[in-house]
Amino acid sequence: MALLEIKNLNITYKMKDKSVYAVQDADITLESQDAVGIVGESGSGKSTLAMGVLRLLPKTAVTEGEALFEGKNLLTLSQDELSKVRWNEISVVFQKSMNALSPVHKIGKQMEDVYLIHRPKASKQEIRERIYELFRIVNLSERVYELYPHELSGGMMQRISIALSLILNPKLLVLDEATTALDVVTQSQILREIMQLQEKFHLTRLMITHDVSVVASTCNKVVVMYAGRIMEKGHVEDVLVNPKHPYTQGLLKSFPSFHGEKTDLRGIPGSLPDLSVRPEGCVFAPRCPYATDECRNKMPELKAAGDGKHEWQVACHRNGR
Amino acid sequence: MKRYILKRVLTGIVIVLVSVCINFVLIRCAPGDPVRILAGLDDPNEDQIAVLTAQYGLDKSIPEQFVVYIGNVLRGDFGFSYVNQKQVIDLIAEKVVPTLLLSLSALTIAVLGGTLLGIYCARKNGKLIDKALCAVSYVFDATPSFWLGLMLILIFASWLGILPTSGMENMRGHYTGIRHVLDVMQHMILPVGTLALIQFPYYFRIARSSVLQVMSEDFITTLRATGMKEKKIFNKYVLRNALIPTVTILGSSLAFLLSGSVYIETVFSWPGMGRLLFDSIGKRDYPVLSGIYLILAITVAVMMILVDVVYSLIDPRIKYD
Repeated sequence: MALLEIKNLNITYKMKDKSVYAVQDADITLESQDAVGIVGESGSGKSTLAMGVLRLLPKTAVTEGEALFEGKNLLTLSQDELSKVRWNEISVVFQKSMNALSPVHKIGKQMEDVYLIHRPKASKQEIRERIYELFRIVNLSERVYELYPHELSGGMMQRISIALSLILNPKLLVLDEATTALDVVTQSQILREIMQLQEKFHLTRLMITHDVSVVASTCNKVVVMYAGRIMEKGHVEDVLVNPKHPYTQGLLKSFPSFHGEKTDLRGIPGSLPDLSVRPEGCVFAPRCPYATDECRNKMPELKAAGDGKHEWQVACHRNGR
Repeated sequence: MKRYILKRVLTGIVIVLVSVCINFVLIRCAPGDPVRILAGLDDPNEDQIAVLTAQYGLDKSIPEQFVVYIGNVLRGDFGFSYVNQKQVIDLIAEKVVPTLLLSLSALTIAVLGGTLLGIYCARKNGKLIDKALCAVSYVFDATPSFWLGLMLILIFASWLGILPTSGMENMRGHYTGIRHVLDVMQHMILPVGTLALIQFPYYFRIARSSVLQVMSEDFITTLRATGMKEKKIFNKYVLRNALIPTVTILGSSLAFLLSGSVYIETVFSWPGMGRLLFDSIGKRDYPVLSGIYLILAITVAVMMILVDVVYSLIDPRIKYD
């Protein structure tokens, strides 16, 4: 059984005068110990998808579909049952780690509080040892326990966030743009640490980022999202090496490569469509260099691509032609 | 911290000196002569006026008078009231207790009531009760205090006849012990109520907006993701963060309240410093006015230092080194 199976997920922000369709018909499967990256530009719905599955969106967001975590549908669990799953089984490292903790409480105390939610009978001694152990794992000194968030740098706070996410040995770790705000040196250090931790603690990882290179270097599977829809998904060595979808191709051309020949960096002309309008055809058609009348009139479905050895799906009419 | 406080005390002394100087000059520049007011309009005796003017030192130039005054104050002599024929220091000491009784009770009610209602409304954000209480707070914020006082007297004292119109105690009662306390409390209801109603919108709006702002902070999402109960998130994390602004404005508003109750004390004939100030302005009782202004300036300066110190104690992000 897959660890997390997201089936036919739709997330809609209901406003007074309109609805914004932030995520539409998303299917994603995470096998145990997978490292799945969701990429897409800002506003593509990747964070909304993850936060929707964890039920952390504001009340204006309506989440429909299924998100089966070890067979339990997270979207229909009662608040109490959901609280038990949270952090114990699924934890999150958030984007803005500088604001991830309360500014007026000591870091150690806040971590204690989180530990106590799920282990209410733990002794002071036990909690303190666990937190010191986590500090060692993420290369922080024990004195951080007594400090406040504003006394640490961005990289150190990111390490705190990671330490906090591991405190209860979760099965699934969601990283929402977890290294985006860091400089490249710190980013690569932290990514390396995350991968070591994944191996050591047999974690399953869901990585949300707009940086294709992060996915390429740290994930085994990738999901490419655009305007709330999945464009292409499969193994990193397929999708990011030989992309089938014009959007994935455009996304890859927007990043420089270390190896190979020097080519001009090219962005994708145009910008994200209005998510409150649901087009009849492919959402990417207005920006797609290959768009035909068929693309503009008929929505392409996700279909298998490649030689069938790996799971690889593309939502494009050009696929297989 | 010690150096900072020392620096603040020194600047505080300068502020007090400057404010005393300005007040001293301003009241002497205002038209009207205390000796002529004392002598009466019907049949002023010019010889008597000359003797009194010389006796009070009013024949000297303003800078000369100021030097004499400062010298006296430093020796602990705040002067002698022309009108009341009492030492200014004794006069103020006698009036300061009723004023503190009035303003501290009103402040306590306004702060507790306003803050609790503000927190309540933040939790009911957008609901009918929230909108209704916001409207009420705007109305009282825009109401002049003396007018509200007069209206309350009209309703509760004149029409309904259930509360006394003015004063601090029943002059004919000669009550002692618990009867006296109850009598004073009954006289306090209207003036304290007026001051509290005028002050509460301030604390209401600060608490409400502060709670709303903290609830939208990123760390609240982190705490929700950890499975912490909403109640604990609110009571431990939201409140601790949201109440910082309330604590910091407390000090400055107490100083404001001491001088701001002038209208209320006058409307309700409350035997406090505000009314003494009002009467002394009418009679150009220079020594009393200078004395009251000096006390107010010192109170404001001390409160400002206290607020800064308390601020650094409750918010770890504030450091003065």
